[in-house]
Amino acid sequence: MAHLPRPTLSLFLVLSLQIIFSAIAFGSDFQESDEEEFSEELLLRPLPDRKVLAHFHFESRAPPSLSDSHGRHHHLFPKAIAQLVQKFRVKEMELSFTQGRWNYDRWGGFDPISSSNAKPPGVELWAAFDVPQYLVDASWKNLTHTLSGLFCASINFLESSTTYSAPEWSFHPSSGSLRYGTLPREAVCTENLTPWLKLLPCRDKAGLSVLMDRPSIYRGFYHSQQLRLTSPEFEGRLESGIVLKQTLTVVLQPDSQGASNTYSSETKLQPSWSLSSIFGRKVTSRCVLAKSSNIYLQLEGGLVTELENVRKENVISWIDNVGSEGWRTNPFFDLSVNPDSVLREVNSLHGSSSSVLYEYSVAKYSDSRPFDLGLKWKSPVVWSCPQAPLHASRFLMGSGNERGAIAISLISTGLNEHFLGANIVEGSCKLEVDIFQVVPWYVKVYYHTLRVFVNGQPQAVTDVVEKMRVSPSEDKVSPGVMELVLKFPCDVKSAALTLEFDKGFLHIDEYPPDANQGFDIPSAIISFPNFHARTHYFEDSSLKRSPMLSKFQEKSRVRSYSEVLLVPLTTPDFSMPYNVITITCTAFALYFGSLLNVLRRRVGEEERFLKNRAAKKAGRLAQLLSMLSAKIRGKKWEHPQSPSASSSFISLKLIVKVVLVTGIAIAWQYYSQ
Amino acid sequence: MADISEAPGETHQISETTHKAEEPESDFDPKTMRNSKPGIKRLILTLSVLFSFLLGFPFLWKSVEIYRAPLPFREIDMLSAQIESNPLLFPCHFQAIFVGFDSKPSMTPDALGSSILSQMTKLTAKPPQCGTCSTNFSIAVTVDSSSGCIQTRNLEYTSSWRCGSMGTIDFSDDEGVDKALADSLGGKVYSVVVVNGDREEVSAVVGKYRHAWVVGRVSEAEAVARAAEIFVKVFMNGGKEEGLIHGEFMPVGADGKIVLSFNLLNSDPQDWVYDWDFQSIDETLLAPVIEALESVANISVESQVLYHTPKSSFSHWDDEQESYIFSTKDLPFFVNSNEWHLDTSIAAGGRSKILQFVVYIPSARECPLLLQLPNGEISKTNGFISPMWGGVLVWNPKDCLKDSESQHPLRRTISQQDLQEVFEVVMGQFRQLFGLKSNNVYVGASGTSSLLASERGFTEWELDVLSRQHTCFNLHSCATTLGSLSRLVQSLPRMIIMDEIGKQVMYSLEAANLARSNASLGLYDASAVSSRQARSLAEDAFFHPSIMSVSYYSFEHCFAVYSPFFLPVSMHVLLAALREWRRYKQENKKYVAWKTKVKKDS
Repeated sequence: MAHLPRPTLSLFLVLSLQIIFSAIAFGSDFQESDEEEFSEELLLRPLPDRKVLAHFHFESRAPPSLSDSHGRHHHLFPKAIAQLVQKFRVKEMELSFTQGRWNYDRWGGFDPISSSNAKPPGVELWAAFDVPQYLVDASWKNLTHTLSGLFCASINFLESSTTYSAPEWSFHPSSGSLRYGTLPREAVCTENLTPWLKLLPCRDKAGLSVLMDRPSIYRGFYHSQQLRLTSPEFEGRLESGIVLKQTLTVVLQPDSQGASNTYSSETKLQPSWSLSSIFGRKVTSRCVLAKSSNIYLQLEGGLVTELENVRKENVISWIDNVGSEGWRTNPFFDLSVNPDSVLREVNSLHGSSSSVLYEYSVAKYSDSRPFDLGLKWKSPVVWSCPQAPLHASRFLMGSGNERGAIAISLISTGLNEHFLGANIVEGSCKLEVDIFQVVPWYVKVYYHTLRVFVNGQPQAVTDVVEKMRVSPSEDKVSPGVMELVLKFPCDVKSAALTLEFDKGFLHIDEYPPDANQGFDIPSAIISFPNFHARTHYFEDSSLKRSPMLSKFQEKSRVRSYSEVLLVPLTTPDFSMPYNVITITCTAFALYFGSLLNVLRRRVGEEERFLKNRAAKKAGRLAQLLSMLSAKIRGKKWEHPQSPSASSSFISLKLIVKVVLVTGIAIAWQYYSQ
Repeated sequence: MADISEAPGETHQISETTHKAEEPESDFDPKTMRNSKPGIKRLILTLSVLFSFLLGFPFLWKSVEIYRAPLPFREIDMLSAQIESNPLLFPCHFQAIFVGFDSKPSMTPDALGSSILSQMTKLTAKPPQCGTCSTNFSIAVTVDSSSGCIQTRNLEYTSSWRCGSMGTIDFSDDEGVDKALADSLGGKVYSVVVVNGDREEVSAVVGKYRHAWVVGRVSEAEAVARAAEIFVKVFMNGGKEEGLIHGEFMPVGADGKIVLSFNLLNSDPQDWVYDWDFQSIDETLLAPVIEALESVANISVESQVLYHTPKSSFSHWDDEQESYIFSTKDLPFFVNSNEWHLDTSIAAGGRSKILQFVVYIPSARECPLLLQLPNGEISKTNGFISPMWGGVLVWNPKDCLKDSESQHPLRRTISQQDLQEVFEVVMGQFRQLFGLKSNNVYVGASGTSSLLASERGFTEWELDVLSRQHTCFNLHSCATTLGSLSRLVQSLPRMIIMDEIGKQVMYSLEAANLARSNASLGLYDASAVSSRQARSLAEDAFFHPSIMSVSYYSFEHCFAVYSPFFLPVSMHVLLAALREWRRYKQENKKYVAWKTKVKKDS
């Protein structure tokens, strides 16, 4: 840390100041009452590619269990979760069910949602336990089974030691008690959502969760349902109990019918949407048990910049126009409902304009007056989302069923220049990247073949790799884990890592059903420890901070997941064992039978018998032949002398045999050359 | 090759040429005789191959055999037969104390004892039920009259009763009498004290410990009848009425644990939200009960509050009652398993029994909600139980008025007093789930006795009954579990059985036998412990993961793997041996024929 350049240091100063500020803000937050609390929030954000992001955030808090007879009695907090935490001594846990892939290019990569709610497809589970080291694996196994029962998913497949790993520093700081596992092929559907909703006090009967109309949310482009648990009490911090954060992030495509056709310009108008059009439902009431239930509409920094540009042209300042109508209408869009308040991001680190948050409180609305927020676009607007410093993608190289290579490519998004633009002059600016990669054992990665390319030029590994931890896979026991810290120069345009591997062979009963589909390599996690995704909105200090906004404020490193790779392995014909058994047995049986026959053969007797028979047969055949020739010649047939005929036939047979043997010998000679 | 091997069987067999050439005799027919002994080289060879195959078979059989730990099938059958034929009975000791009766010739202790005994035998159920007292009762009678104090003799125990100590007791205060009698009687003996007094009305009270007393002007015969009835119906059978839950349904998990899960259901939180201070109830009301039941089960308590949980049956408005009514025939549909996420507890490990107690708060649309009994009356408790599942109680808020104007629902906590009432009902339900009476009056043939309720929920004699029944239930279920395990194992001859299962079965049988022997000695606690152990071991064996898994290597599979080899090979070996044997016999016959001919000739 000592060799950090000065500008980064100043950046850190800003960050640490912010930490102090937020710590003060949190100070009031953590004066918890002994009550269990619940709050519900929904964040809506129009995305640049004509889609809408909806992010539900439900948070339940339980008071420290020590004051409540070891947490046996619950009022709002789900009993199942509290018991789970108590039984397995879970310090922290995150479980996510995801369908689809987060599009980092278009939906952003540098905001709290994309770095903590963009998850790899399938199931991802990690948990840290407060148990001695030797018990961690046992706790993990029990936990996977319990969760699998709780969420109707095959999480129990994470029990096997070949599926989970223990990252040490690149994923999440923990002292060896963390386990991480993914199931990339787990299908996510309503049967996983229902038990997740069961943990909410109002389930989907009232409140914001009413919006979760199953067909609409599963129709989306991206669907990630997440459950995050923190129980700091095991760490000796008794001031707060278990915190359960349940989030559901969906990216939906509003129907664009009858909206955009009026504009003929090449930039099409964004489709207008409302809650009822994207979810098919309206918010009728809040969950009465929730301490707060709010809906936020977020306008990203890029969009706000565009807005401000227009305003400048119209010589009306954004800030000046604080009239109640001013928020609702602007040159770009109209909102159907007036926001209760508008929050601005305090300081954006991305250089561009800070984002704006419209806040709506659901408490005012009822069955007779349902809340249906609508956004109507009036003119086309193009903006871009904040991006992570490097855009990561991963792909396979090579062909065939024998070997291949994994490549991780990192392409600069231009942010780092922008962000650390001033540093390039000094030349010592470094961009730090952490990579965490788990590879199943049957993909045998040769870690010594790690090669690094920066801007297309091969580089010595030691120049780029700052720190490295590799635990090679062990057949049928553990997966291969690679943790890397890379340092690139700030002006890096592109970088790539390649690793070669051999495809292993599995035992016949280790193949999953439908093995010909291929095998998944879980997503790699690429994180940027020096970049923190946090948005801090300015709020009245009198108001109690909303749990979702304080979550956004938490310092979390920018993180992105790479694609899941599909590796085709050689799959055997699964009836092979029986074929092998049958053919071997047949060969053995043939061998045995002939051996036995040879042993009990009487050569002399057979020869005599054969001669006898041959004589008979030959006589008849010769008779027939002579009869035929006689007929052809038209002469009277006469009985020939049998001995002479037979002897001549034998000699003929002998000649045929000799010819056959020589033929075979010639063929053999010919083909063997 | 085949037709060559056929050759020996055919009749036109030709003997060796050497003999043919050398044979000068004209009557030597090579087709029917030979002059040399047939060789046995090939016969020995084929037979040795065949025998080595046959010898190899046991080894092969051994190698493909799956491991099955030997299970004591006979002992298991014996245990179930024993439990079926002679139910588990405990020896019980009774004593009757008659105070203030005139000394008449019929008032001798022995005579009274025998008359009580005959009454009791009449009252006991003919086929003795499991978990009751054995029929050879031992009764001690003490007659404490002004003239003296006489006791029955020839008994292994002597009463601790001090004669004349009755005078100091005031019978108007039941609690006081109970305490005093507990001090003077004590012990494990069930006793009835009959005090012949001046009071007209006869009152019978069963105390919290192991004694009862009858006070009033009673005749001798009446006193005997009452004493016998209290002994049999109350102390032996727990005052149960017919038709209540049978003792075999004991809501105790196989590991001897019960989880009491209390749920407060707010059917519609838009109307009102009620909360409770369960913590205090747990500490004040439930803790003593849990402590009292320690001998029967290990109990833990948890609670939760659920919302948006409407009931799934209908109720109708009744003008007369001014309330909504649901009747007993709606009860099967009352519990709404779709919306009531009562949850099985994660904290409860393995095979604990979870009893759900539900306090249902109706919404404003159906408040107050009352339960109508089949006879048209309104239920006093407003609740019902479902055996082995738990109980439901409908609790109506005091005023069913909802402030319709307010957006915010009423948030209230059920008052401590209301909660106390609720838990009295819940406690009654809990007792009913155990098969005990929920009210404190016993109506017998010879009069009504009031039962003193213990603040611990269960009196000592009730706990005795429960622990007897528990032991019986455990042994029963142990026997049935082991029985089904043995049937299962016998029906699947190629199922792998681990050593561990064999061990568990053996220990379970041992524990069951120990429980039986302890029960016959009258050691309640020891037999309860070992019976619980027997049951849990039996269940462990039955639910052993290796049995649950589908690691069943079937015979068909085995056959499919080995038949491609053994079928053709065995055909070869058998046929070769058979042919050689046949040929040898034929040739030998020829030789013998030649021999006899030679002999005849010479």
